[in-house]
Amino acid sequence: MRPWLGWAFKLSLVGLVVLAVFAVYLDAVVQEKFSGKRWTVPAKVYARPLELFVGQKLAKADFLKELDALGYRREGAVSGPGGVSVAGNAIELYSRGFQFYESAEPSQRVRVRFSGDYVAGLTQAGGGNLAVARLEPLLIGGLYPAHQEDRVLIKIDQVPPYLVETLVAIEDREFFNHFGVSPKGIARAVWINATAGQLRQGGSTLTQQLVKNFYLTNERSLSRKATEAMMAVLLELHYEKKDILEAYLNEVFLGQDGQRAVHGFGLASQYFFSQPLSELKLEQVALLVGMVKGPTYYNPRRNPERALARRNLVLDVLVEQGVVSAEEVAAAKQKPLGITQRGTLADSSFPAFLDLVKRQLREDYQEQDLTEEGLRIFTSFDPIMQLKAESALADTLKRLSGRKGVDQVEAGMVVTSPENGEVQAIIGSRQPRFAGFNRALDAVRPIGSLIKPAIYLTALERPSQYTLTSLLEDKPFSIKGQDGQVWSPQNYDRKAHGTIYLYQGLVNSYNLSTAKLGLELGVPEVLKTMDRLGVEQKWPAYPSMLLGAGGLSPLSVANMYQTLANGGFNTPLRGIRNVLTAEGEPLKRYPFQIQQRFDSGAIYLLQNAMQRTMTEGTGRSVYNQLPRSLALAGKTGTSNDSRDSWFAGFSQDVLAVVWLGRDDNGPTPLTGATGALQVWADFMRKADPLPLDMPVPDNVVRAWVDANTGQGTDPSCPNAVQIPYIRGSQPVAGPACGIQAPVNEVMDWVRGWLD
Amino acid sequence: MNKWLIPALTASLVLGGCSSVPRGSIPVVDGGSSIGSAQSGTPGGYGNQSAQPQALPEDSGVVVMVPGGGGSSMPIQSFPAGNAPLDTSTSNQPWSAAPPANAQGGYVAPSPSGIPSGGLTMDEQLDGPVLALLTTAQQQQGGGDLNGAASSLERAQRIAPREPQVLYRLAEVRMAQGDAAQAEQFARRGLSYASGRPALQASLWNLIAQARERQGDAAGAAQAREQARVSL
Repeated sequence: MRPWLGWAFKLSLVGLVVLAVFAVYLDAVVQEKFSGKRWTVPAKVYARPLELFVGQKLAKADFLKELDALGYRREGAVSGPGGVSVAGNAIELYSRGFQFYESAEPSQRVRVRFSGDYVAGLTQAGGGNLAVARLEPLLIGGLYPAHQEDRVLIKIDQVPPYLVETLVAIEDREFFNHFGVSPKGIARAVWINATAGQLRQGGSTLTQQLVKNFYLTNERSLSRKATEAMMAVLLELHYEKKDILEAYLNEVFLGQDGQRAVHGFGLASQYFFSQPLSELKLEQVALLVGMVKGPTYYNPRRNPERALARRNLVLDVLVEQGVVSAEEVAAAKQKPLGITQRGTLADSSFPAFLDLVKRQLREDYQEQDLTEEGLRIFTSFDPIMQLKAESALADTLKRLSGRKGVDQVEAGMVVTSPENGEVQAIIGSRQPRFAGFNRALDAVRPIGSLIKPAIYLTALERPSQYTLTSLLEDKPFSIKGQDGQVWSPQNYDRKAHGTIYLYQGLVNSYNLSTAKLGLELGVPEVLKTMDRLGVEQKWPAYPSMLLGAGGLSPLSVANMYQTLANGGFNTPLRGIRNVLTAEGEPLKRYPFQIQQRFDSGAIYLLQNAMQRTMTEGTGRSVYNQLPRSLALAGKTGTSNDSRDSWFAGFSQDVLAVVWLGRDDNGPTPLTGATGALQVWADFMRKADPLPLDMPVPDNVVRAWVDANTGQGTDPSCPNAVQIPYIRGSQPVAGPACGIQAPVNEVMDWVRGWLD
Repeated sequence: MNKWLIPALTASLVLGGCSSVPRGSIPVVDGGSSIGSAQSGTPGGYGNQSAQPQALPEDSGVVVMVPGGGGSSMPIQSFPAGNAPLDTSTSNQPWSAAPPANAQGGYVAPSPSGIPSGGLTMDEQLDGPVLALLTTAQQQQGGGDLNGAASSLERAQRIAPREPQVLYRLAEVRMAQGDAAQAEQFARRGLSYASGRPALQASLWNLIAQARERQGDAAGAAQAREQARVSL
């Protein structure tokens, strides 16, 4: 008897020591992970914040669309951050505040008054005028690591009312009383499971659930259960309930979004409601807490009935537990689920733009920094412009779908702000929501006549040799190129147009006269101009390059035309403005940089010709859709057999490039004018831009020219037209034609001037 | 000749009157106070928000470079209005110089505030958003936060892309950041929008002179100084 007891004593002593050693080890594990950085957070990518100021061009409908996307609640009277009330043209909202690179934007009550498509008044709640305010930016994506866990970290003091109470009531009633494990809870679970004859309820506390998710694998065994219990006790020993609860709220798995796992209540709130967690109402809280039990089974997007039933069950428990009054719950039960819909701005992905952002970021950061450090990336992406571009493309393709072959046509589109080179929208496919081949960046296709402005710019930079009214010969010719091939260009209409003014060659996109001009200037000179416009290309200096045999991506074309649109100042296109750390500290800026590459006078003359392209040349169908008063400049491009349909053009504040073509490079039924231009025009109609209005450079004069002879004349003479020249290159003014000038001419002139 | 001048002038007056923004309706707001009381998030170290903006002169007819708390490399300047006091209801561009497709009277939309569209020779007082942001930038620069200042100025540039004073300030900050080449470029861009504003032109040319000096281009600097002198 005695030796047996002795042995037992020794054995249990050994067992205790082993257990103690194991506990010390577990303790180290528990503390190490909990005290360090608990989670890695993927970088978050934001759209541009919407700026508000008096005089801003902004349609009320667009403004409301943005507010909806940001999850603003429509209310009768604004109750707090994230609320908005609409009364006619007056909109009152309570912004949420946000940390930007240059400064923090306060959360404030703002009144916006609209007049037409303009902001006519901006005041604070007190009535004081507000100079400028920013909304918080729309989150448009993230950079996820291989395991694709995403979360928005929250602090315990940011949670909405009832979240903690509801969570405790549903998942672990004894949470605030137990020490990590709950004997009472286990006993109840055992009782329920025994009476039901099956495994209905687990006895896990919130602490145990956290330990399970945070430290352990998904294996189900008794030894793992024991380890879990020990770690839970150890965790409670070292940390306060508040810290454990906060960790739980951030760790818990609440849904799967494709490849991305939605973790924590912070992200779940954004993902399901497009709202910050702190703004959630009782019924929303109840839904999220109810989903903890089975995020897939109770997914409110896939199984709305099930989710609704679960939510209402949770609400009933709250009444039962005395957390909320029966009246409040009855009201909450009447509310719909309130989940944001797929396909709205709030729940859209913009893969083509994110692709551009990622490429830039990968040049500057390690992959690990991007996927783990919670960086905040601020971009120039404009969701309103993007949606307008997408609908312009969809509407136009639908309109053109009667033509044979349009179904196989793919698309790429880039929208930028010409005055600062910021990329606002990108379409990489005719199905813009599908990530895949990004044609805006990667489809390098022959640009056709889009190259012509570079040829004419090269000429106009030599005012002693060329003006807009220099004479060119538009007639057939053949030359033997360096590659030994005989090259005989042809006009699109297969006709020769004889002697024409220089600008007419561009405006009507004549190949013969343009190619001849290019050869006079020299192909290498034209390619040099392309370089200076900001296009990196390694094209051979063959004559065929003069008609656009060289290939570019839509993004590169945007770069080229940006320099033309911005007075000859080149700006590298940018999609990212700046980067903040997870803590809101400034990390990196992508500054606005400019470089003057061309004389502004030469650019002014070229823009004049490119405007004529729109009013009287190959782009004139644009004014079937747009008012004549809207000055625009642009160029069509069509490659051989209509394999590529291009249009590139700009207003004062918007530049857009459209490419249509087939991935297999087959012929399409579309020219630049019948295809890409139609998309472009529809987009411009929706974007409602400011008319092009380049200030007249000091070295430009406007002279009266006889439209028939190209000689200098007087405004009182018949056929007098006004043409800009570089000072000194204008023709000598002719004598006045006296008072007998026909009134019609004058009225035409007045009308032209008023347009 | 004069026969058709009358309808043309009348039309320009009528259209001009319809289209220009009533200047008096645009409030001039001291943006320093609202921006300064930022909250949300707890980042440290942004500029020196406690710097008090000086009272902003509001007398009309004078365009005022934002007065600053000593961070600027340039003394406080003011640019007087164009040579003649102009009635803002008409475009003062000689009508014969109006380009064919974008004539002054043709636009229908009211000009967004802070964006001087059309009559660039018209001196305009900076208003609401642009003034507020230039003030913020000035404070940030004064507090040594050049990146923040540049960022605020770029924000102002997005709101008023053609306001030469914004470009002037951007050039100044680039200069303070040691990027003389970009400083010169921004000043040149500013010049392209500063026609009819001789004092501003002179300042821009002087900045170009400094930038060229910094880049070791003495001859270019002298040329720019000469231009500055001629402008005034």
